[in-house]
Formats: sequence, C-alpha cells, structure tokens
Amino acid sequence: MNSASPSNNSLLWLMLGLTLGALPHFSFQPLWVSIIFLAMIGWRCMNSWRAWPLPTKRFSKLKFLQLSIAAIATLLLLSSYGNLIGRDAGVALLTVMLALKVTEIRSHRDYYLSCFLGYFLVVTNFFYSQSIATAALMFIVVTIMTGCLISLNVPEQSLNSRSKFKLASQMLLQAIPLMILLFIFFPRIAGPLWGLPNDAYSAKTGIDDSMTLGKISQLIASDEVAFRVKFTDDMPEQSALYWRGPILWHTDGRTWTELEDTLQTSQAPTLTHSGPEYHYTTTLEAHNNKWLFALDFPTTTPTVIKSHFTQDGQLRSDETIKQRQQYELTSTPQFTFNSDDEPYLRQALQLPDNQHIRTKQLAQQWLKQTQDPLQLVQIALNHFNQRDFYYTLTPPQLVGDSIDSFLFESQRGFCEHYAASFTILMRAAGVPTRIVTGYQGGEINPVDQFFVIRQRDAHAWTEVWIKDRGWLRIDPTAAVSKDRIEQGMSTVMPLSMRSPLFISNSQNLAELWQKIRNNLDAIDNKWNQWILAYGPKLQKEFLSKLGMPSPNWQTMAIWLIASISFTLLTISAILFYHRQQSAPIIKLYKKFCKQAAQRGFKRENHEGPLDFGQRLKQHYPQQSNEIDQITQLYINLHYGKQSASIEELRHFIKHFRLQKL
Amino acid sequence: MTLVLKQLYQRFNQVRGRRIFIVPTRFGFVYALFLILILLGAINYSNSLGHVLCFLLGSLGLVAMLHTYRNLAQIELKHAHAQSVFNGQEINFNLVFDNPTPRYGYQIEVSSKQDKIRSWNPFKMFKGYEHPQLIKRLEPQQTTQLNYLLPTQRRGEYTLGQLRIASVFPLGLYSTWTYFKNNYTALVYPKPEGILPLPRTTQYGQDLTSKPQKGLDDFSGFNRYRTGDPIHAIAWKSLAKDNVLRTKQFTSPQGGHLMINWQDVAHIKSLEARLSQLCQWILQAESTNMVYGLTLPNTVINFGHGDMHRHRCLAALARYE
Repeated sequence: MNSASPSNNSLLWLMLGLTLGALPHFSFQPLWVSIIFLAMIGWRCMNSWRAWPLPTKRFSKLKFLQLSIAAIATLLLLSSYGNLIGRDAGVALLTVMLALKVTEIRSHRDYYLSCFLGYFLVVTNFFYSQSIATAALMFIVVTIMTGCLISLNVPEQSLNSRSKFKLASQMLLQAIPLMILLFIFFPRIAGPLWGLPNDAYSAKTGIDDSMTLGKISQLIASDEVAFRVKFTDDMPEQSALYWRGPILWHTDGRTWTELEDTLQTSQAPTLTHSGPEYHYTTTLEAHNNKWLFALDFPTTTPTVIKSHFTQDGQLRSDETIKQRQQYELTSTPQFTFNSDDEPYLRQALQLPDNQHIRTKQLAQQWLKQTQDPLQLVQIALNHFNQRDFYYTLTPPQLVGDSIDSFLFESQRGFCEHYAASFTILMRAAGVPTRIVTGYQGGEINPVDQFFVIRQRDAHAWTEVWIKDRGWLRIDPTAAVSKDRIEQGMSTVMPLSMRSPLFISNSQNLAELWQKIRNNLDAIDNKWNQWILAYGPKLQKEFLSKLGMPSPNWQTMAIWLIASISFTLLTISAILFYHRQQSAPIIKLYKKFCKQAAQRGFKRENHEGPLDFGQRLKQHYPQQSNEIDQITQLYINLHYGKQSASIEELRHFIKHFRLQKL
Repeated sequence: MTLVLKQLYQRFNQVRGRRIFIVPTRFGFVYALFLILILLGAINYSNSLGHVLCFLLGSLGLVAMLHTYRNLAQIELKHAHAQSVFNGQEINFNLVFDNPTPRYGYQIEVSSKQDKIRSWNPFKMFKGYEHPQLIKRLEPQQTTQLNYLLPTQRRGEYTLGQLRIASVFPLGLYSTWTYFKNNYTALVYPKPEGILPLPRTTQYGQDLTSKPQKGLDDFSGFNRYRTGDPIHAIAWKSLAKDNVLRTKQFTSPQGGHLMINWQDVAHIKSLEARLSQLCQWILQAESTNMVYGLTLPNTVINFGHGDMHRHRCLAALARYE
C-alpha cells in the first residue's frame, strides 16, 4: 500500500504549501537561499508537469548536481552566518534542505517527512512574527499540509481535491476546541530551556543608547508601537506625558552617549514626590535593550520585573527586554531629583574641545548679561522662540560643525537638534545640563481606551541642575513648537506621513483610515495581551480567575484531561451520530404502533400495516373506524396511491387513544 | 458465576459492536516526535503561536484518530461466495460489505489469514494476514462488492479464513483494523493435466452412436408442432414472426458412455498426478458430450452429463484422500 510513489497532484499541492510556508522568510533571508528554494520547487513541479528527470541514481549527473548544491549551500551558510545553530542560520538551513529533499521525494516516507518538515517550517515563521496576519497565513499553510496528508492516503478518483481540503478544514475546525483547551490548561513552562542563540531576537527599531543628530527623525517614519499604557483612573494632561528613556551625558561633538559604566554606582538618586499620583499598566514591546519606559517620575520600581534605578535616574531592567513585558507603576509628575547634591556635575558640564566655537561665543555673550542659571535658560528659550527657528520633521542636512551649523545657518530642526544645541549652550554658560531621550505624548485609542505610544512619538529633551531645586526639565522644542508637546505628534505631522499615500489628500479619508487603524490596533492589542502574552504567569492569573484554587501543574492536568475527554466525546458524538432517516410519515405511524404496543399489541416485523390494523380491530371493535382511517391514510401517504394530507394523519394520530380493555 | 460474567461480556460486546483496533503507524510516531520538537522550540523561545501550532496539530492528531476509527466502524461482511476453481487458479471470493452509515468508507484494505497461528505470544494473533486487496470506496448505506482473489496451491477445501479489513485513512497517522470470523469455503479441483489419452468408450446394449436420438439437452432445430409435443418446447418467438406453430428440437449427447476408472491411472505413481489425469479426462469427456461416470476406490459416481454431474465428479477428486 505504501510502495507506490505519491501522485503528481499531491506533490503539486505540497509544493504550494511549502512555498507559502517559506514565503515570509524570503524577505530577510539571503537572496540565494530563496533562489535555491524556488529553483528546487520549480524543478519538482516541472517533473510533475513535463516529466523532467529528477536526481536519482539513473541520472547520476543530476544527482551530482543536487549534492553539489547541498554542499555549496552548507558552505555558504557557514561563511555567512558563522554557524548553523543560530536562529537565522537554522531557518536558512531548514529552507535549503527542505528544498533539496523535495527533489528526491519518491516514496510515501519521503512525502510524510516533507509534510512534517513543512509543519516545522510554519513554527519557524513564528520566531520572526506573531502577528495576526502571519497566524492567518500559517493556518492556510497548515490546512494545505493536512490536505496533502489526506491526498497521500486517498487517490484522486475516490475523493477530489476540493473534498480533500474540505475534509482537512473540517478536521482542523474540529481540532480547534481541543486546541483552545490545551492552550488554556496545558501547564506552561517558562523558557528558555537552553541557551538561546544570539540572534534569537532580531534588531528592533526604537530609542537607542546614543543620539546623533538626525537619528530620532528617522524613527518618526515608523508607525510601530513602542508601548501601550492603560491608566487605572485619571491620566495627566498631554504636556506632562514625558516617558523617560536613556539619559545622555557625554558628547564628542556629534554623538551623545550615556554615562560610562565605570562611573555608575548602585546608589539610587534622592527623590521626593508630591502632587497627584497616577497608576498605570505599561505593556512594553520588545526592544532588545534594558530600559523600562516610565512616566516621569515613578515612585517605585515595578514588582514583576527585576529592575532598579540607575544613579542618574533611569529605570532599568536587569535583563534585556527580549519579549513584550507588562508592568504596573505609579508616577507623580511633580518631583524633585537630587536637589541637594549631584554626583555627576563634571559630566554635566563636559564639552568637546575645539568644537562649537560660535555656540560657545554666543553663550559667553549671554553670560555677560546674567549669571543666574534660570535666567540663562530663559534667554536660550527666548532665543529659539523669537529668532527664526522652525520645527520640522525633515530637517536639512547639516554640514561641518553640526551645532554651529544648526544654530546659525539652517535653524530648522527637530527635537534632537534643539535639545543638543540647548545643552551645548547651557554647558558653555556653566549650567549643568543633560539630555533625556524617550517618548513624549502618545495617542489614546478610543476603541479600547489604551494609550498608544509609537516610535514616532520619540523625543529628546533636557534637564538642568540647579542647587536646591535639583534637575529641572526644560524642553527647548516646546519653545519652538508648542503643539508638538501639548497636542502630540500627530498634530504636527502632515497627513501624508500619517496615512498611506493614496488617501493623503482627503481629510475625510484620512479620518476613516485613522478609525480603521484604531480598530485594528485594538484587536492587535487584545491579541498581544491575551494570546501572545499567555505564559506561565498569565496562565496562573487566568486560571485563578476561572476558579481554580491553586493552579499548579497537577490541577491543570486534571482539568485538561477532564475537559479534553468531554470535548472529544462531544466531537465523536457529532462524528458518529446519524439520524435514522425515517420520514415524518413513518414517525407518525410509529407513534401509533407504539401506543398499541403499550396495550400489548406489538406490530411484528412481518406484519404489514393492513394486517396489523385487522388484528387491532379484532381487539378494539369500537375503534375500528379510527384504526381504518389511520391505516388507510398511512398507506396512501407512504405508498403514494392517492393524495392525502399529512396534517390529517397528524391530527388523527394526535387524538387517537386506545381504550382500556 | 462464570456464566453470568460471560453473558454480561456478550451483552457488552453486542452493545459495543465489533471490536476495532487502532494504533499509531510509524508515521504517527514521527508526527508525535515533530510535535515534541515544535513544543520544545515554542517553550525555549517562549513563543505563544508556537504553542498554538503544537496544540492545533496535537488536537488534529486526536481528531484524526476519531476519523480513522469512523472509517471502519459499522462496516459488516454480509456474505461471500466463490466458484470452484482448478488448483493453480485463483479463487475469486465475491465479498459483499455493507456500509450502513451515511458516509463513504475510503481505502479499505482487505486481507485474510488461512491458518491459525498458535503461539505463546499474543501479538502473533495480529500477524499472518496475507493477500491484501484494496476497496477504494464503500458507498454509503449500500453494499459494495469486492472480488477477493486467493491463490491456490493444492486441491481440496479452501477456507476464506479470518478476514481483516484495515485502513489508515485520512491522515495515515493511525492504522485501524477489525476482523470478520466466517466459515466461507471454496472447493479447489485438481489441476487438469496428464498425457494419457481418453480411455475407449464402453458400449452398453445397442449401438447408439449412429443416429441422433431425441433428447432434452442440446438444441438441434425446429419441427412443426404436433399434438402431444411439450408446451415448454414451443418456439414462441418464431410464432410471433410468421404465425406458424413450431417446436424446438433437442438431442441428447451422442459421445457414448465412458466409465472413468481409478484402475486406468493406477500405474501413475504420484497421487496428485493420478487425480490430475482423471480430472483432465472428466473435462475431455464433458466437452465431447459423452455420458460418463467415475470410479474411485471409495466412491462410484454413476453415468451422467452436464455441469452438475461434472462438479460432482471433480468434487470427488478434490476431496479424495
């Protein structure tokens, strides 16, 4: 039974399934991997369509060709990835080897193996993207693969392709309730089980640990969600929404970087909080760095993530954030920070030698007017506000000394330009200043009331340190563009940057687009919060809510087995149930027979309705009329001799009562 | 006590129906292995959709089990019969399967086991099923026939043996099978061979070979109807054609009488060769319209002619011990 080779039809379907499964990988795999994959699939298809020869022993040259492709591909993979066990290298290896395997499918065994590898190919996609779209595509791939398994076991003459895929989807649909139970109750184990390869998580867009002019404005183009926040009750006004990220101190004239690790101590900064408190839950997307974004300024570190405050006041996780994380925080927008003593004053006054000459001269001029740091700050802000400075998302390229060139020539810039030049000015005037990067503002999604902070909300602002008042936030961007801070990024963004090009000209369409996007985003958020985040922790929470007193793996196993058994029984009841297909006429007559049987006159198998009627009449002479009528109606209806109404029969049967003898 | 238990067991079996076995195939085990790999990957990367995929495929495996089982459930062997054949030919058992369900049954493999294997190893009971043949599709709520061919190597009674139907439909992850116990048999005649010519015919009484004799067996032509001719011999078709009443004429065999005798082959050493020679003579005698009989050491079959007679003779040879 298994000796025959798989049919052409089933092979072509397998090719389709595998291609769809490998498709998302094409975008980031080396081009040659995709080419080898498609070439091998094409080869196999041509074998089915045009009977091209395959690499078998009979065609030793082709076999040699195939083996050399395998060898060369392995070498190329080794040279471009350095190993074969990382995520990217592993997936590329799987793709290439699967493609080569496909060219030599001869037996059912080969076919099964390719199908199973196809299922495995599906899971590799999830290592890169777990979006709803990926899940949908992969469900299609799984359906095709299942159809392929069916087509291997049933020839086309008995069951055509459409019926095969209908059966495959039916089986998958029947599997879904079981899958949901497994998903909920299967005891989850916190990963990783062994060391993850270094490339397990791909590079993410987002705030960096350094800042070069022009870098943040690149982020503006990204619509990606950085994190979502749900405020428990009130939320502060938009202009107070500063989400603190890395703090930058050191500059070499172009690039700003964090404090060197050697300077950091484990001491936390001295903070005093006052004013209203805001409670919120943050869902942070993976960004492959350690900082946790928090509204200025959190009162404590989050309880669920091991984290601490650095000495310059940044909330930092002990582990790299490689996956979406959720944490609860409380913040007070009114706070004082290191008001008495600041350990990094020297770093807050650092300036690169022999650079920003004109800027430094300007600061010297201001110093002649006043020595008071607050007044100096005001002079600088006025300078931005009253001179010919513009806030633009597409600043011109700066040539030469970037700060000088911005301040005295282009005068068009983005938050980072204002923050950087303000800091240089202040430091030159002897005021300790640092740059804070992070996000400002965000948008509320009216659909699910989540506050969404996207990459385009990335921002840079500054803080100056003043004796007895500590670090004070100064946002030079606000001096140029009040709207950016008070109304959020979307007000200053042109429509064309907020929605796809084709509808950018119409305000109505843009609003519609926004609405659709809000809805999609809310769905996406639910998907993230419930499906993707469902791990050991969320499982415990959810099961406790379900009423499981102490969810450990034993109770989960019991619930799992019980619910799975019940569902399986239900599914088999549906699968095996088939109604005795008796017409309503027969049903009615059976009712009549049943009544007679209760009185002790059971209709024998050999007894026709007429004979049975006769027998009954002998025992019930008074009711012989009724018995005759029912019998006659039944015969007429069932054997179709005369037209009769089923309603009449129903009426008779309903009112028929055999008398007691 | 044991009687009660036995009765209970029988009633339970009646309710449950036929015993159907189901085990994973080797591909089923490989599938499970892949699921474990996917689960490990999903745990290691804390990948939620990886878990989802693993659970979906696992559930698919469970559902596939039900579907595989359902493919065979309720199928019954209605009856089987076979014509006798000569040794070396294949017995063609006409098996009739009934599928009372409203669903098709697909790819059902039928095989049989002639001899019982007695062994201390209970798993041996699953072994020894041979001559697999495939039913591509069982129609719903209907009977489906299969010409099940069984090769023969000896003469005598052949039993269909315990019949097994098996299937891996739909995914090939499970193999399911069930047995039909039955007593269907077929008779295998000896192989007709031998180089000896047919013995001379024995004449009884008058010479019967010269003139055709009226008889009942072979049609020889029409005659005009005469009163007294049997009604069943009237040629109604020709009456309809030209309105002339005719009767069909039949003749009896004229090949003569032949008693095929065991003594005639006594000089052949091997018993089977003797029987083969006798078998061949019977066929020759039958085909040349002789009236013949058979004398064996333990049986004598009187003169006769026709298929029934031929079968009686050949059956005697087949059963000869």
